[in-house]
Amino acid sequence: MTRHSANEAILDIRGLDCFYGELQVLRQASLTIPKGEVVALFGPNGHGKSTLLKAISGLNPLRDGSIFFDGADITRTPSDRIVEMGLAYIPEARNIFTEMTVLENLRLGAYNRRARPKVDENLELVFSLFQRLDERKNQMAVTLSGGESRMLAVGRGLMSDAKLLLIDEPSIGLSPLMKKTVFGAINRIKKTTDISILVVEQEVDYALAVADRILLLKKGEVIMERMAGEISKAEIEKGYF
Amino acid sequence: MALGLTIVYGVTHIFNFGHGIVAVSGGYFTWLFMHKLGLGLIPAMAVAMAVMFVIGLILYQATLRPLLKTENWEFSVIIFLLGLGILWENLLLQFFGPRVKDIPRFFDGRFKLGFVRINYHEIALIAIVILFVIALNYFIKKTWFGQAMRAVAQDMDGARIVGINLKKTFGFAFALATAVTGFSGVLLATKYYMTPHIGWDWMVKGFVIVVFGGLGSVTGAICAAFILGLAEAVITLYLGPMWVWPIWFFMFLIILLIRPQGLMGGRTL
Repeated sequence: MTRHSANEAILDIRGLDCFYGELQVLRQASLTIPKGEVVALFGPNGHGKSTLLKAISGLNPLRDGSIFFDGADITRTPSDRIVEMGLAYIPEARNIFTEMTVLENLRLGAYNRRARPKVDENLELVFSLFQRLDERKNQMAVTLSGGESRMLAVGRGLMSDAKLLLIDEPSIGLSPLMKKTVFGAINRIKKTTDISILVVEQEVDYALAVADRILLLKKGEVIMERMAGEISKAEIEKGYF
Repeated sequence: MALGLTIVYGVTHIFNFGHGIVAVSGGYFTWLFMHKLGLGLIPAMAVAMAVMFVIGLILYQATLRPLLKTENWEFSVIIFLLGLGILWENLLLQFFGPRVKDIPRFFDGRFKLGFVRINYHEIALIAIVILFVIALNYFIKKTWFGQAMRAVAQDMDGARIVGINLKKTFGFAFALATAVTGFSGVLLATKYYMTPHIGWDWMVKGFVIVVFGGLGSVTGAICAAFILGLAEAVITLYLGPMWVWPIWFFMFLIILLIRPQGLMGGRTL
């Protein structure tokens, strides 16, 4: 694996400060994601992983810092423009539209102007990754199981024709079999497309199996960066404490 | 009438107390265009709806959008719309005077079916409402903007995540509801009559229908309108019109006791 230079970064974040009221959640967080890589972000609960993803997608206000996506400054860009530029956020809470069918949910994923002409092409990709969604495409999303709605959330993110996916804890609350399915899909995205991925995860084993690069976030700061081969599971887990 | 209320409530969860007056404005604009510009009924209605849509957009941009940034915006917006409704009502009163105005019917004449006499106009009204509901349903289910309105109604965070601009969608929903409500006002004015104050009567009626059917549910509102309309006709026939309100509210209370969320409440657009 070759080191990429900074201008080949799909995402470049410098010195991010983010607050919830008086509470500082991110402290000078910085990270870089090279094009085409899968980067796994680990860290203890409550140390700012989800906040970081939301801040990148324009859903959380920033106090300080800068975010560059694919060479463009998106620090102050509204969230709907960011999606249109090709950055999709897949929340842990899923946020799917429960009173719509699976297909309607997926189509809404392609709401941004760049993705609309590619609806059919991206639907094909999503259904090839998750046959289950194809089988259930005319069902109401509220009838899906936890694992299926997770698939739907990932699928909806893919529909936006993204260049970079931010996936927040895709395996949380799922059965081991479902975890395998979801990470299998992430692996297929990595192998068959040129989409870059930043995935926040607690399940070190699953994430290590697909990641090129490992980041550790603690107390709102990225404290460690390693290539996946250079670090063991034990070392990552040690970093949690 | 009820549909306009449902759209705004369904999308934004705001109850518009200025709603009745919006409907009346639709009627007055149509009247104005017919009498001052000499337009026919249908063109005057079309122009009035376009004007209402634009007014809805301007109103949203100029007044509601800044309010949305404040804390407790739901509350501020409700009070603001109520105040604006009262102001507007009095402007209409100044401008048009308190005397009753009416808008001509689509068709004159009637025919007999057994012992009931039916106006052609009422048939036309029913046809228009059915067509309108079908068109609205198509718009909401099949167009990007309609789907965006549903998405915002169901999960605001989810809507932002897929790249929907919340403020634009709010503004468009508000403008659309203004036009739809104005349209309903014209239809009501062709059947009955209008004064600047009649909006409150219409609104209370609309409010009962919407809550009866379940706030935010279009299907519920249509079912409720049908049930309550039938009840009104039966009550007027056998007991007289003065019994309509007491019995309506009695039915209303019973429904709320059994199903506090309304007939089809709890579901969204």
